Amino acid sequence: MQSENGFYGEYGGSYIPEILYASQQQILTAYEDAKKDPEFLAELHKQWQQYSGRPTPLTYCANLTEHFGGAQIYLKREDLNHSGAHKMNNVIGQGLLVKRMGKKRVIAETGAGQHGIATALVAARLGLECTIYMGAKDVERQYPNVFWMRQLGATVVPVTTGSQTLKDALDEALRDWSSSHEESHYLIGTACGCAPFPEMVAFFQSVIGDEVREQSVKQFGQFPDRLYACVGGGSNACGLFLPFLNEENVAMVGVEAGGRGIKLGDHSVRLSHDLGSKGIAQGFATKFIQDSNGQLQDTHSIAAGLDYVGVSPIIAHLADTGRIEMTYAMDDEVIEACTLLLKKEGIIPALESSHALAGAFKDAPNLPKDSHIVINLSGRGDKDIFNVAKAVEDETFPQFLSSYLATYHADMEKKA
Amino acid sequence: MSQLADFIQQKRQVKPILSMTHVVYGYPTRQQSLAWMTRLLTEGVDFIEVQFPFSDPVADGPSIVAACHKALEQTLTVEDFLTDMGVLARDFPDSRIVLMSYLNPMYRYGLDKLAKRAAEINMPGLIIPDLPIELSADYIAACEANQIDPIWLVTPVTPKERLEMLASKASGFLYCVARSGVTGHSNHEGKGSTTSVDDYLAHIKAHAKAPMGVGFGLRERHQIEALIGKADIAILGSALLDAYNQGGEDAGIALLNTLFPKK
Repeated sequence: MQSENGFYGEYGGSYIPEILYASQQQILTAYEDAKKDPEFLAELHKQWQQYSGRPTPLTYCANLTEHFGGAQIYLKREDLNHSGAHKMNNVIGQGLLVKRMGKKRVIAETGAGQHGIATALVAARLGLECTIYMGAKDVERQYPNVFWMRQLGATVVPVTTGSQTLKDALDEALRDWSSSHEESHYLIGTACGCAPFPEMVAFFQSVIGDEVREQSVKQFGQFPDRLYACVGGGSNACGLFLPFLNEENVAMVGVEAGGRGIKLGDHSVRLSHDLGSKGIAQGFATKFIQDSNGQLQDTHSIAAGLDYVGVSPIIAHLADTGRIEMTYAMDDEVIEACTLLLKKEGIIPALESSHALAGAFKDAPNLPKDSHIVINLSGRGDKDIFNVAKAVEDETFPQFLSSYLATYHADMEKKA
Repeated sequence: MSQLADFIQQKRQVKPILSMTHVVYGYPTRQQSLAWMTRLLTEGVDFIEVQFPFSDPVADGPSIVAACHKALEQTLTVEDFLTDMGVLARDFPDSRIVLMSYLNPMYRYGLDKLAKRAAEINMPGLIIPDLPIELSADYIAACEANQIDPIWLVTPVTPKERLEMLASKASGFLYCVARSGVTGHSNHEGKGSTTSVDDYLAHIKAHAKAPMGVGFGLRERHQIEALIGKADIAILGSALLDAYNQGGEDAGIALLNTLFPKK
């Protein structure tokens, strides 16, 4: 979606400290040039295909469709990207841009760790130095991802200030960029931040919706009637929705994290139910979860990738104009939706993506049988093994962990 | 001429360089921060740059970030803040208080209302580091209507044309950031800029329509001495906070008197 000088309605813009002005202008120019350059676009598509395995399939879910008895249910399988999530689409694009700008180092923030992993993968492949900022609480919740980032050669810095989650990781990444902008690129993982990041990330992610346009016509002879995507920062939602923006008959539903309830600190609902309000922070204007004094507040979600305090200015604008319908799913509904997909279709969804499933499953029984819905399965759930095991109260999992630990220590002692 | 620039020029008749000390409002508590500001003003600092804390201070290093988060353990409102600053401004008419805040708390309060109240309490300058001049038309108009100054920042990596534009639009004073990076000591130390600080300041001075303040990384007397004749105000931020954290008000005052010795 094209912005007007970086704005989408009243959201977006470039509210950055003066020190970052020159770097931001450099990215703006590099992106504007690259997106019009056929060679760049050819290389982008080549890397998407050869490195990430695109196009990802559109999978028909016969069992789920029968189970709900309403709409025909399809999944866009972003979980099948290399790295297991849609994050790869953007990272490949920005990685190529970094090469184009001649920078040697990338900085990134990460919540769940999916963007961190994707960045570390691409940095390794392109020979770039890589520093990942991650909230200390997220490091704890998503340690397996931290482990792989470090194995890939990235430096992972746990951020212990503030709420120790994604927003604080973003602050710290901006601070790094303030002193390192001459040789470093800030590789933002979602459609947030100062211009041109929202537009650029949405552009690289739009391959999702572009593919769905072709696949839907090929597989069921029309565009989908309804699209569903979870909304954290908003990159997978932008990716699926934006290519359908001008198709008036395609409805779009964004699903936020309802968490444990609507009390401040228990959820990450910024758009539905007016729980967020307009603010300007972290480089851009959007709806933030904040108090009456303009201080950004703590959030919660069972899915670490959805607990961002703000949201893409593109999504905020489209929600304001009514083009996107916003709803939310609670933690327990998300686990139910995840379990149902496992049992009915043999697919392991990320907890982030399970929000989109939960939102769609509420509507599916009430939709006509000849309607078609596409749910963006933005990532796979292997990374959530610990959290899901706890949520479903798996009895043998703690036992496995204790015996793993015992053997681990015993083996280490033998080595020593 | 602006009241603030006028004040600076008058003071400069008798002092080679003026002192601006930074304090985080509400750190460690509202009362303690007010006591600290009172002590600094009693000591005769020319300016206090008082930072209204924000949850996500992206241009600050660890010392100021930690102070902001500590301060926010209390509920701080902009209205109370302005009232408190009004009392200090009234009690210390020989010094000036300027506000530094990230945009969001002030945006939520209302920039029009802020400019009006700032004028009422005699707080003649506002520093909002994440509000760039291009997006400031309403804010500038509100400041002009109330005869207070929006203070712009320039940095060693600000492109030449832009630096000249900002210098020519400066009002009150121009905040010249001395180096890349965030405030204070940090893991993110900026690399030395390719041009020397002297050349940088001389270039600004050739275009500046207002006095010049220099901040970021000032910790030693020789740095202040080096600014004499090249700038009007030396801004002491994280170093003062670090001294305060280590040895309380007395340590802070000792540092102040080392950096700005009384004749």
